Amino acid sequence: MSELFAAIALRTIVVSGVATALSVLVGVPIGYVVARRSFRGRTILLGLINTGMGMPPVVVGLVVWLLLVRSGPLGEFDLVYTQQAMVLAQFLIATPIIIGFTTASFQALSPRLPDLLIVLGAGRARRLWLLAREARLGLLVAIMAAFGAIVSEVGAAMIVGGNLERSTRVLTTAIVTETSRGEVERALTLGLVLLVMSFVVNLSLTVIQQRSRA
Amino acid sequence: MDVEFEKVQVERGGCRVLDIPSLRLRSGRTTAVLGPNGSGKTTLLRLIAGLERARAGRVSYGGSAKPSVAYVFQEEVFLRRSVRDNLELGLRLRGVNNAEMRGRVDEAAARLGISHLMDRRADHLSGGEGRRVNLARALCLRASLVLLDEPLEGLDGRTYSRLLDELPQVLGAFDATTLLVTHNRHEALRLAQDLVVLVDGRVRAAGDKSAVMMNPALVDVAEVLGYSVLVSNGRRVAVPPDALTLGPGRLEFAMIVEDLLDLVGQREIVGRVGEARVHVAIPATGETPQRGDRALIHADRYCDLA
Repeated sequence: MSELFAAIALRTIVVSGVATALSVLVGVPIGYVVARRSFRGRTILLGLINTGMGMPPVVVGLVVWLLLVRSGPLGEFDLVYTQQAMVLAQFLIATPIIIGFTTASFQALSPRLPDLLIVLGAGRARRLWLLAREARLGLLVAIMAAFGAIVSEVGAAMIVGGNLERSTRVLTTAIVTETSRGEVERALTLGLVLLVMSFVVNLSLTVIQQRSRA
Repeated sequence: MDVEFEKVQVERGGCRVLDIPSLRLRSGRTTAVLGPNGSGKTTLLRLIAGLERARAGRVSYGGSAKPSVAYVFQEEVFLRRSVRDNLELGLRLRGVNNAEMRGRVDEAAARLGISHLMDRRADHLSGGEGRRVNLARALCLRASLVLLDEPLEGLDGRTYSRLLDELPQVLGAFDATTLLVTHNRHEALRLAQDLVVLVDGRVRAAGDKSAVMMNPALVDVAEVLGYSVLVSNGRRVAVPPDALTLGPGRLEFAMIVEDLLDLVGQREIVGRVGEARVHVAIPATGETPQRGDRALIHADRYCDLA
């Protein structure tokens, strides 16, 4: 039983970790652009991003399922009920959170700082890296919030992953399954594993965050 | 290295904020750009620094495609790191090796008197210390073109005076073509050899500071340079701030007295000549005009305006 639990915990970390990493890679540059640039429709875009930060995961799961299901527009890729599908759904849930927090973090920096880096000779990528380091307190909050949101969600994981025991069952869907079977003790154990795992990840990020504050 | 502007136009939000058909900043000299708020002074600096794009025209740098530029911002702008890290950043980005970088940073810090601050967090400095670090960061770049955007703005009186006293030597150490933006006439005359007067994005006067200062041929130039623009018998003249005296003279004006200022040891009357507001020093003792009086004043020095 412990091997099965370990496999589920590992799968949970891999799926949510990959989704978080992808959302950081996509969301941080977008957040930087939204914070720095003025363009037509920027306020509407920010409104959409803020709405996305609170989007119900089950709705995201439903939309992704409709896209990936065999009769759907992306059905030919045969991705439904796979870990890739779960990563995709969790990526869509996490990305608005990363963009929203990143935008706020970059906006909190001195507006002259990007100009200074340009004049000192920093290229585009170096500039983004240096500014991200300056905004790292806020960016780590973004990562914690995004990871926390997707590792604890159950609706999207259940719909697009299908809760298959050996391939797509993660801690949250396993808790639902064990509870529905009346195995309350197992469900509680899984819940504890989820909490400890979430605590360890967040504690690690908090240590990095507070060390960089000094 | 001369900096030359040819038919340069900069627009923002559909409005033309800079329109310079021709202007030359002379090599190795400090040029002060004077102008009221919103006249395009900072835009001019940002254009040279590559932070703004011209809609038309070009800026050339004495044959150099892209000169080495140092920019001193109006406010303190730092990474949340030590002063040393902030001074080294520009040199690292420009590929200067470690030994030379340390030498340049230590030399610039010593010249600006901030050697004792090198391990402090740059974003925790006082206003005066921050401005010194701003200047040191620019100095250690050893740039051929130095741009200073109101580097003393907002400092308290004592810090301002000390830094203003030291700035000529710092500018000498830059050994570069330097452009100083300010709206303070006194600062411009202390620090620069040449003056440019910018009004509504247009260059209204440019050249050696004595030539520009002594002969403000246009009304807006005279106003920027601190002259009072007055009219006497249909003749429009620019009068320097200290050139008005109570009593009759060769060029007389009728002044309506509005206030009397006691400045301890000296007194001034404040009033209007037509639409222009003027201050006239009066003797500490003797007859004093009263509010509402019509007083006769005259200009000791003046120049005719177009």
